[in-house]
Amino acid sequence: MSELLVSNGWVYDPLNRIDGERMDIAIRDGRVVDGVSASARIVDASGMVVMPGGVDIHSHIAGSKVNLGRMMRPEDHEKDVESRTSVMRAGVGRSIPSTFATGYRYARMGYTTVFEPATPPLKARHTHEELNDTPMVDKGCFPLFGNNWLIMDYLKDGRLDECAAYVSWMLKATKGYAIKLVNPGGVEAWGWGKYVSGLDEPVPKFDITPREIIRGLCKINTFLNLPHPIHVHTNDLARAGNYETTIKTMDCVRDLYHGGKPIIHITHVQFTGRSGTDWINVGSGAPEIADYVNKHEHAEIDLGQIIFTDTTTMTADGGFQFLLYMISGNKWGNTDVEAETGGGIVPFHYKKSNYVNCIQWGIGLELALMIEDPWRVHMTTDHPNAGPFTEYPRVIAWLMSKNARGNVERKLNKSAHRRLNVSSLDREYTFYEVAITTRAATAKSLGLKDKGHLGLGADGDVSVYAINPTTINPSRDYRLVRKALRKAAYTIKDGKVLVKNGEVVASVPGKTLWVSSDVPQDTYDQMLTNLKERFEDYYTMRMSNYPIGEDYLKASRRFETVAGQRI
Amino acid sequence: MIRRGDKLEPTSFEEAVSKAASILSNAKYPLLFGWSLTSTEATCVGVELCELVGGVIDNNTGFCHGPGLIGCHDIGVSTCTLGEVRHRADIIVYWGANPVHAHPRHITRYGVMSKGRFREGRKQRKMIVVDVRKTDTAKMADLFIETDPNRDYELLSALRMAVKGEELEQEVIAGVSSEKIEELADMLVACEFGIIFYGVGLTMSHGKSRNLDAALSLVRDLNRLTKFLIMPMRGHFNVCGANEVTSWTTGYPYAVDISRGYPYYNPGETSAVDILSRRECDAALVISSDPIAHLPLSVAKNLSEIPLITIDPHVTATTMVSDVVFPAALMGVEARGSLYRMDGVVLECKKLLDPPHDVKTDVEVVRAILNRVRDLKRV
Amino acid sequence: MKLTRQLTVPVDASCISPDLLVGKTNREIQTLELWEGNQKVQLCSMFDIDVNSDAPSNELKIRIHGDLKKVRRIGHGMTSGTIEAEGDVGMHLGEEMSGGQIVVHGNAGSWVGSRMEGGRISIHGNAGDFVGSAYRGSRFGMKGGIVVIEGNVGAEMGCWMKGGTIIVKGNSGAFPGIHMNDGTMLIEGDCEDRAGAQMTGGKIVILGTTPSILPSFSFDELREKVKVEEQKIHGPFYSFVGDVTETGKGRLFVKASSNPQLKWCEAFIQKPEE
Repeated sequence: MSELLVSNGWVYDPLNRIDGERMDIAIRDGRVVDGVSASARIVDASGMVVMPGGVDIHSHIAGSKVNLGRMMRPEDHEKDVESRTSVMRAGVGRSIPSTFATGYRYARMGYTTVFEPATPPLKARHTHEELNDTPMVDKGCFPLFGNNWLIMDYLKDGRLDECAAYVSWMLKATKGYAIKLVNPGGVEAWGWGKYVSGLDEPVPKFDITPREIIRGLCKINTFLNLPHPIHVHTNDLARAGNYETTIKTMDCVRDLYHGGKPIIHITHVQFTGRSGTDWINVGSGAPEIADYVNKHEHAEIDLGQIIFTDTTTMTADGGFQFLLYMISGNKWGNTDVEAETGGGIVPFHYKKSNYVNCIQWGIGLELALMIEDPWRVHMTTDHPNAGPFTEYPRVIAWLMSKNARGNVERKLNKSAHRRLNVSSLDREYTFYEVAITTRAATAKSLGLKDKGHLGLGADGDVSVYAINPTTINPSRDYRLVRKALRKAAYTIKDGKVLVKNGEVVASVPGKTLWVSSDVPQDTYDQMLTNLKERFEDYYTMRMSNYPIGEDYLKASRRFETVAGQRI
Repeated sequence: MIRRGDKLEPTSFEEAVSKAASILSNAKYPLLFGWSLTSTEATCVGVELCELVGGVIDNNTGFCHGPGLIGCHDIGVSTCTLGEVRHRADIIVYWGANPVHAHPRHITRYGVMSKGRFREGRKQRKMIVVDVRKTDTAKMADLFIETDPNRDYELLSALRMAVKGEELEQEVIAGVSSEKIEELADMLVACEFGIIFYGVGLTMSHGKSRNLDAALSLVRDLNRLTKFLIMPMRGHFNVCGANEVTSWTTGYPYAVDISRGYPYYNPGETSAVDILSRRECDAALVISSDPIAHLPLSVAKNLSEIPLITIDPHVTATTMVSDVVFPAALMGVEARGSLYRMDGVVLECKKLLDPPHDVKTDVEVVRAILNRVRDLKRV
Repeated sequence: MKLTRQLTVPVDASCISPDLLVGKTNREIQTLELWEGNQKVQLCSMFDIDVNSDAPSNELKIRIHGDLKKVRRIGHGMTSGTIEAEGDVGMHLGEEMSGGQIVVHGNAGSWVGSRMEGGRISIHGNAGDFVGSAYRGSRFGMKGGIVVIEGNVGAEMGCWMKGGTIIVKGNSGAFPGIHMNDGTMLIEGDCEDRAGAQMTGGKIVILGTTPSILPSFSFDELREKVKVEEQKIHGPFYSFVGDVTETGKGRLFVKASSNPQLKWCEAFIQKPEE
């Protein structure tokens, strides 16, 4: 039996409505309990902020395109290294850290759960091998469905129930957690070097529209009772003004909402929040998107906030990535995956002198500040697309402090600054809201009942930051906040201290979280029969080699769901 | 087996492990080489061992398809999984590769003879071969371009010019007429989906990584006009896996120096052949590879003169000059493991038979050495 | 400093730099650490060090004796002062330096002056590959300063070069100036081939023979003389612009008298109007 007491800290636990109360958190055998014995190890959190461990809902940390990014960019790692210690493996960092370094760097910031959001199912084994080597955090992955041939075939034929059975088979086969869509239909077009525009242009040779794909998968998601809504990277990322596509995407499933949790999650909205007709007159579409989100509870977003730095863009949106190469002239990686999806990688440097980059910077913050419900706005940088995850403390400082924002605004491209609304926004996030946007809301959105909070039975994942919320003024002292968030005083995982004063003191492998969803047996069997017939027509792999066994995961936790009555 | 005097003598597994661990932990710059014909899992443990002993981990990439990776550092790479070729490709180019002999099922499974969702078969595809002689693969081609040896870079430059619509001032480039080059460029630009599969004819001829720089740039240029990709015809069955594992654990695909406690990469400086040719390492572990047979004589000689540990299913020239030899189970027959196909798709190999008595898997051997080194270093 | 023993494994001697020795006591210098393979050792374990503290601190001079072929990163990042090596030196000499001087009486390994921003390196012998180059994957090669090599150099000199000058009195290997963006390169001897491959700017001058010019270079004119570091060199030169595959505006000057095999380009010379 192992016991730990995080004592006397200022606790922020929004899921349990605790807003800066001085209290103890007791953990026994990895779970939060009522109290512990006198022999418990004490972590003295006096005068410090205590939150549940961070839960990152969207970060490209593992898999085929991430690794191609590493291989493409030795110069990204050369100067940022992690030396081997008695508890740490060696590694490298900067925008595409090696897997061990990824785990350590998240833990140093007090994060304890991370999701890899774009996994090509055919290459899911690769993702899991990398996740197996990503210590310190619990993790999972979102397999890609939005350009999957079988999905498109099923949806075109209107066979929703069999499609749902296929999705459930795929989640089990890939050990995935949620349904991810990237530029639905558009990446299949990119398989031919082509593009689709908006939601209603048919996918070449498939005669189905992005709208139909999104709606079909949304219905299936609800039917399967999956813990997280469909996670969507919208179409039109490459278009100069694309905020309307974001709104249309949210709106296209509005009629499918019947109360409760949101049914669609739009990711890195900063990238699809631009107004304007071409790159010279691009502006912020954040007010319009915020207005829509404020009025419609069925949708939630994450930010994808820009950091002005040299970073690497990588998404499954191959076509967009090629256009980014054309704009920047930087090196370009592309990885199309048969019958399923694509991928692209382009290094990119966001600069304060660049008009468009400044608009992008403003969009992310405007979304965060103008959307009223913090439970439906998640802080991310779409690592590493808009910036490395190690810069989260910088983003949080911007959210909490108008001064911090002002310091950046003074250095922005002047025309861009004039076009933005951010300087007129006075809102400053509180610690409570920060806890929501970085752990409580993300855990809730993911349906992780034991994470993102410190109530009884929760996982003993706790972060303690050396900052006293009663004595400092985050608006003024944002630098102190940033410093404290960069190096947690303590990061505790399953009741074990992994980080102390920003240094890794212990390492654990972490668990891979995945969803096993059950559907009516007869539909499942029918789907399997059809699948067996078609599988080897579509894939260059035998069907028996495709599913991943649970023993492939170093450690895992399975979430089980049962499908609803009728789709 | 352990060398005593000038003979290799049988010994217990534990004794061999002890001796191997002792050699590696006493070395100032040990080299851990091979990894291309073993499981991904073994390479994972190998990287950990390399960190612990403060050495260099490298695989066969350095003298095979390394140039493609080096080219990728500068240009990137436009590639795909093999099914994409089967479904979509109407132009398939083999450049410096001879799949009829080196990858016998390639053409029927993924190439012009295959059937895909959008391509019925041979009639809907064209095969182009670029090589220095008319190979058996070239005999099957719809267009064969015979080039002067070691002039691929010039030919690729000229092709890039033609694709861009620029005039070629020289009449003959790399032994190919400018008309032929323009004809080839027109074919490439007019296709719906094309791919270049390249082999060591491109990676190991004069220019090496710069040949790939040019080829990757050509493919990138073609994407402004049509859909085009490129893929290396890898040789060793899990060299891709070795690259992938080494990349995710250290950040770099091969030739990784962890002697100073953190990964450092610089082929030419940290690559096995170069380290050996300069006599820089003072001990080596070789796994599922036969460098004594395959590397230049002077390099092989240097390798044979330092304490050498070998892990291999076969008796090889390398095992014969080693100081410690571990017979290993055959991956994919006597041991399960994961491996990466040439297009990055992971396949799990099954175990069909038990290995002979006392023969362990690569993972077991490397892990045993790792654990013993830990004891010796009291970590 | 004098090397006192034979070296087998590589040595990382980035501590041998005037910036890191200036202001240090004799004891501090003796106990400076460097890597020998995977071992951290003290400078004195490898070198007999004689410290002359009379020299003014901004003109610190380091003189090294011995065969330093395995000693890498000498002068790494230095900003002032002088290093003089009597024998051969290893890889990465003067890498990332921005000032000061390095003189090597013997040969140098590869990556001399890689990513250099200023200062001067003189090699009396030969140098290896990648003189003045960028690191793998980076597009930032040598940016300033001057490197002079009396002997020959290897391949890919000036890879991704962004400025500065490299002068080679001997011959050069293949691909000098690959991906060059700016700067000046002079090869007084022969060039193996493929000069200026994929360059986008800058100037390469070859006085010796080079077997061919890449098809992506466009003949421009016959030029009487070219200027390198304020010095006028008389030709005439065949002058090319390229690399067209990169829409490059780099200039390649090849001395006509040494390259009769390039006479074909005279057909492209624009004759003056009659």
